[in-house]
Amino acid sequence: MIDERPLTDGTIALLNLDAQIDALEPEVRRGRASVETRAGLAELISLRGLIVGRIADYDRAEEIAEHLVRDAPMDASSLRARARTRAGFHRFNDALADVDRAERLSLDTETANGERAAIFQALGRYDESYVLRDEAAKRQGSFENLAALVGLHAERGEIEAAEHQYEQSCCRYRGVSPFPVALLDFQLGLMWMNAGQLNDARRLFEAAWRRVPLYAQAQGHLAEVEAELGEVDCAISRLRSLAASSDDPDYAAQLARILEDVGHEDESRRWRRLAASRYDELIASHPEAFADHAAEFWLAAGGDPDKALRLAKMNAEVRNTSHARSLLARAVAAKA
Amino acid sequence: MSDHISGPRAIADPVIDITDVYAFPCPESPRHLVLIMNVFPYAGPSALFSDAVIYRLRVRPVSIAPDGRTFAVAADESIFDFTFSGSQPVQEGRCALPNGDVVTFRTSEESGGSGRAVQVFAGQRSDPFFIDGPMTERTIATRQVAFKEVGSDRLYGKNVLGIVLRIEWATLLKGGPMFAVVAETLSAGKRAVRLERVGRPEIKNISLSAKMFDTVNRDLEIRDIYNEEDAFNLSKHYAGAYRARLNANLAFYDGLDDKVDWPFDNHGNHPLTELLLADFLVVDASKPFSETSYFEIEQAMLEGRTHATCGGRWLNQDLVDFLLTLYVNAGKGPRIRDGVDAPIVWSSKVFPYMAPPNRREAAQS
Repeated sequence: MIDERPLTDGTIALLNLDAQIDALEPEVRRGRASVETRAGLAELISLRGLIVGRIADYDRAEEIAEHLVRDAPMDASSLRARARTRAGFHRFNDALADVDRAERLSLDTETANGERAAIFQALGRYDESYVLRDEAAKRQGSFENLAALVGLHAERGEIEAAEHQYEQSCCRYRGVSPFPVALLDFQLGLMWMNAGQLNDARRLFEAAWRRVPLYAQAQGHLAEVEAELGEVDCAISRLRSLAASSDDPDYAAQLARILEDVGHEDESRRWRRLAASRYDELIASHPEAFADHAAEFWLAAGGDPDKALRLAKMNAEVRNTSHARSLLARAVAAKA
Repeated sequence: MSDHISGPRAIADPVIDITDVYAFPCPESPRHLVLIMNVFPYAGPSALFSDAVIYRLRVRPVSIAPDGRTFAVAADESIFDFTFSGSQPVQEGRCALPNGDVVTFRTSEESGGSGRAVQVFAGQRSDPFFIDGPMTERTIATRQVAFKEVGSDRLYGKNVLGIVLRIEWATLLKGGPMFAVVAETLSAGKRAVRLERVGRPEIKNISLSAKMFDTVNRDLEIRDIYNEEDAFNLSKHYAGAYRARLNANLAFYDGLDDKVDWPFDNHGNHPLTELLLADFLVVDASKPFSETSYFEIEQAMLEGRTHATCGGRWLNQDLVDFLLTLYVNAGKGPRIRDGVDAPIVWSSKVFPYMAPPNRREAAQS
């Protein structure tokens, strides 16, 4: 349905995102920007981080938000911005505390509940998230509110509901930016992948990738699906380019595992070493955020079940999702 | 900030965000009329036009209605549609003219493209608007004039994506010599959907955005709804909401000097409300170019005299000072200054009029 609508070319959209950031960053660095501008910049940089898979962007967004709260602690926009960057690094309790404080200051309840719903969802508190998201969608059936429900249903594996909401939200999209639509495709792709329906997953990941060719997560998951479907060369080629360009070790880890499976030991070892050292760095700086992915790595290509178990436990303490429980169970089994 | 960042949709995607519209008789050739629309506030060096958007300039003949207080807009319309390719960094541009002709050009080429009776340019340029944004916001928040002798230009050193159209108006437009001009961004495709529209400066921001004075729709973010409207055919559904918001906000500005310079009429409306809701630039192509003639045609109507200038809008008029003075004391009191009296660089009197883009160092100085 959304394919009938024109969207800005994904490369141009990303250049324009860079253009926004490049124009605002000097102003923020000089300390002359308003709270709104600084919060807006943190938001734009986080979006770029999400699209191109750049952890340095999340770090910069977090830095801006922390400085913002330091400089304007009584401004609800500061706290909201920090809640978002904290949630991005899986510091969910801190993020919820910021949302509560922002609401006490002046953040309207509707916006505060939107932030809470996202955090509850990430924590696996799906029922609480659903109540808030459903209420928002009933109050205003905007693209954003319906798309949020797609993500929630998809994560819970509620295929029919997710597909229905996907259609509904696509109908409501009035913009030309490809990002919101690509993110929606990606979420549905993840749902199909988790349900084992790889061809459907590929269709959605490809759609997301076509809309935004530099969308790293879409490419990474597309490679995963391709590898599962036996298209190993395709997956390897895709991952080589991602692993070389991204500071997120997931792509190197994934590449190392696939290369090992097909007997390319030397190259696999190289990527494994790179991923291992990068995961160690990230666990030192953002333990909550990378515990799950690092545990997956040490369970598979990393080959260190002790480390995997320790990180899987940490992850399960941070959030009690079905994925976290399954990861912990696999780590326990690997250790045994 | 003129029409920069004028609503949630524009904030979400600056490539559709029209920052300003200008219309003026060509300074070096009275046979020509120049129309300009700028988009993409705070455009960094890599900013490009969307390949999924129609950037549209709409022009209709207009006259002063028999009541002398409103405009009579004719139905005949001339549409100029600009579209761009998905290539980068140089984009192929296309301007579809009302007579069916098409002018092609490449972005950022100074000479632009030309056809019979038309010359076009599109590319990154210096933002010609200037304003002390924070003090404007403070004035609203504190309900007191907050400007300083020397203000701080929020747009200093900033760039936009500009579209410039220079036309022989007698050849390409219907009617005249007085025209109403509106700029729009629309999603391309089978059914074009209006995303933004701009006519007059500072309608959505200075005039419409503040909610706290509006006792009718205090919670309504009115700007996206307003953006979707046809400027030449305002729907009845929200007209009352727009009117209520403008009445409330204009009364607030009028009260800033503790005097009433704009008594409401018998219908409970501010005298400027209907004129501002006619949200298009009105330019008289038969009059010579003028740098400071925005709203002179409308002021003449209010005063019951014949206008003396081309009206319209030149690139570097000190719009904020003019508007605040108009709103606060109807031009009968001291000039209300925001302390910013010039852009970083003056625009040119020759095509493509807008100054080249600022380099990054300029923005940082």
